[in-house]
Amino acid sequence: MDGPRALASPSLCGQGTVAAGMAVAVGRVLQLGSRWGAAAPGVQTLRLICTTTARQRKNVGASGPEKYTEAFIKNQIEEFNLGKRHLANMMGEDPETFTQEDIDKAIAYLFPSGLFDKKARPMMKHPTEIFPEQRKIQWGEDGRPFHFLFYTGKQSYYSLMHETYEKLLNAQKYQDQLIAQDLPPQKKKRNLAGSRWLTKIELEEMLLEKLSDNDYSRFILLLEKLMTLPCGDTEEKYVQKFSKEVPVQLQKVVIEPLKYDERGVAFSTGEGGRKTARATAVVYDNGTGKITVNGIDILHYFPVLQDREQLLFPFQFLDRVGKHDMVCTVSGGGRSAQAGAIRLASAKALRSFVTEKEVEFMRQAGLLTPDPRVKERKKPGQEGARRKFTWKKR
Amino acid sequence: MLRSLKGLLCRPLKDRGFALHTAAKDRVSSLLTQDVQTAPERPRAVFYTNENDPANHAEQHEGRLYSIPLDELKTVFPHGLPYRFQQQIKTFNEACVMVRKPALELFTYLRNTNFAHPAVRYVIYGERGTGKTMTLCHLVHYCARQGWLVLHVPDAHLWVKNCRELLQSSYNKERLDQPLQASSWLKNFKTSNERFLKEIKTQKQYMWGRRDRTEAGRPLAEVVEQGLARVRNASDAVGVVLKELKQQSRLGPFRLLVAVDGVNALWGRTTLKKEDKSPVAPEELTLVHNLRKMLMNDWSGGAAVTTLSQTGALFKPSSAYLPQELLGKEGFDALDPFVPIPVPNYSPREFESCYQYYLQRKWLQHEKAHTEAGKEELRFLSGSNPRQLDRLAGPL
Repeated sequence: MDGPRALASPSLCGQGTVAAGMAVAVGRVLQLGSRWGAAAPGVQTLRLICTTTARQRKNVGASGPEKYTEAFIKNQIEEFNLGKRHLANMMGEDPETFTQEDIDKAIAYLFPSGLFDKKARPMMKHPTEIFPEQRKIQWGEDGRPFHFLFYTGKQSYYSLMHETYEKLLNAQKYQDQLIAQDLPPQKKKRNLAGSRWLTKIELEEMLLEKLSDNDYSRFILLLEKLMTLPCGDTEEKYVQKFSKEVPVQLQKVVIEPLKYDERGVAFSTGEGGRKTARATAVVYDNGTGKITVNGIDILHYFPVLQDREQLLFPFQFLDRVGKHDMVCTVSGGGRSAQAGAIRLASAKALRSFVTEKEVEFMRQAGLLTPDPRVKERKKPGQEGARRKFTWKKR
Repeated sequence: MLRSLKGLLCRPLKDRGFALHTAAKDRVSSLLTQDVQTAPERPRAVFYTNENDPANHAEQHEGRLYSIPLDELKTVFPHGLPYRFQQQIKTFNEACVMVRKPALELFTYLRNTNFAHPAVRYVIYGERGTGKTMTLCHLVHYCARQGWLVLHVPDAHLWVKNCRELLQSSYNKERLDQPLQASSWLKNFKTSNERFLKEIKTQKQYMWGRRDRTEAGRPLAEVVEQGLARVRNASDAVGVVLKELKQQSRLGPFRLLVAVDGVNALWGRTTLKKEDKSPVAPEELTLVHNLRKMLMNDWSGGAAVTTLSQTGALFKPSSAYLPQELLGKEGFDALDPFVPIPVPNYSPREFESCYQYYLQRKWLQHEKAHTEAGKEELRFLSGSNPRQLDRLAGPL
């Protein structure tokens, strides 16, 4: 049984088809075992039964009884490490210093795939990343559950609420103590903007248990209440387990300062793209509104009014229509795409000339956002991306 | 390079003395006497000028608009104004033309020409929509006021394309006649130059077919009548007229101005086909042949002003506007030497005055168009090109 499995190491396959099948089979065998009352956790015989693939997206650990045994996981880990060493040998690298990144690169090299979905491509990861965490068997040999809240049905959730409430009571007691001692209550600053609570799915992953929306909101309310009180250090650490950092602003975009060319005229560059067109624009100060594209005047390059209006938009928005000169280069795309690309490039270049407030206005006007629309793929069985073949009744 | 060429040509003409034609001055009085604009009194803005005689237009009038009285329009321009301009005249009820530098240049050249020398050819060229035809019309108006005989061919391209009837010429077997175009041109020519036609006499006898003929010494008007009456002979009539004028302009009491718009049509290709579907070369058309002879510089007593035009040009890319490109080698050699006159887009001042004109005539109705920002927008979008500005201002 192990022989054929070692050759086709399941952690090497595409996401979980065979492995999950076998896992479900394991689960089935295990269930049979526990009903018969003879199976002890950890010792299983495995029979390969053709089963359906498990659904990978949902939190498998929380949805039912154990599907992967501990021994199975341990086996997988051993096989993974062995496979890692084999792979390092194959690639001619040192097995000791073969990191996960190297593994990814090697797999991408050995099994090139053109599939769009990254999760569908062959991957080799540590089994703990592939097999989701499982809840261990929660009752002993005699059938008696380990946890005292087992019969509530949501033991981890209620125990969590219990702990949190305990912390809350402690904090209240601490506050009372402070008041009794006539000390001013400490107000500690909490960075409210920089953190957020765990989402429901993240909490479920943490507890390995399904939650309802109501449960989740009650927990969050409790945490908020805890937050309002002056907490000591232990409470602080406890609460931090349930909050996540959120970067204040997604990477503040750096606006480049103005450069000066030989004549002493200030200029700045910007790049932009739309569909397949790519453009670079150099905007000069103290100009008359002359614009050159690929060495040609815009009146000749864009005979259509619509394209020229697109080029006009950033300047008009900032009320700087006749004040700048621009030299652009553009390639690729069609007439409209090139106009859109130059528009984005010139807007980006104009950021250096303008105050931050106006940059924010530009961003809100949509001048600084690259248009993500590209041509949709044609599907087989259809004439175009959306158009179907003519429907014939017979 | 062009400047130096112009300099070379100008200087010899200037040195031979200024030609103040008293004869021409006398003509002015015999022309239509109304030189004064009889428009209703209203405060004229800065961009207008009351100077309605192109002869008096000088540099201080540059960028301003002057108007042509409407009845003068009918005689001086029976054909020749661009279609859009005609529509504008109808809408605004006045014909306002802008005084621009190329036209003023041409006026100085014409004033200083020595008419004993062979006729100088001027070629007005420029990009599309910059005002070449309007410059030519301005010049035609000037010459008409000065009392010249104006031979105005509104668009030579009309003679090389879209011709329904092609007759074999009776005069020369290889050539082809175009009766319709010739007769319409003769009609317009008659309207504009009636009094000259009565005074100029033919010098030879001409046979029209087997029966009709015109004796020597008859007024040219008769030739024109013959052409109009017998449409078959219209092209030959045109040829006769051109030949007579060429011969007589040297000695005669009048000055001759040959104004051809779209001269690159004469040396390009045609879209016409003979009955056996073979293409027609321009030389095979009588009208074209005669006009080419007219544009040679073997006559004196006048000038020839021509315009290049890409708009009607056949088989030429739309980016072509230089004389070399549009005329081709043949045309360039035929017209060489000539004085090139480039016509640029509007200068800021000219743009300003055109914009003010539209505002004053309430042509720009959009509320934003009245603002400074609107003006900048118009300037940007039109690229200071007169045609683009006209088209943009239309829907506003």
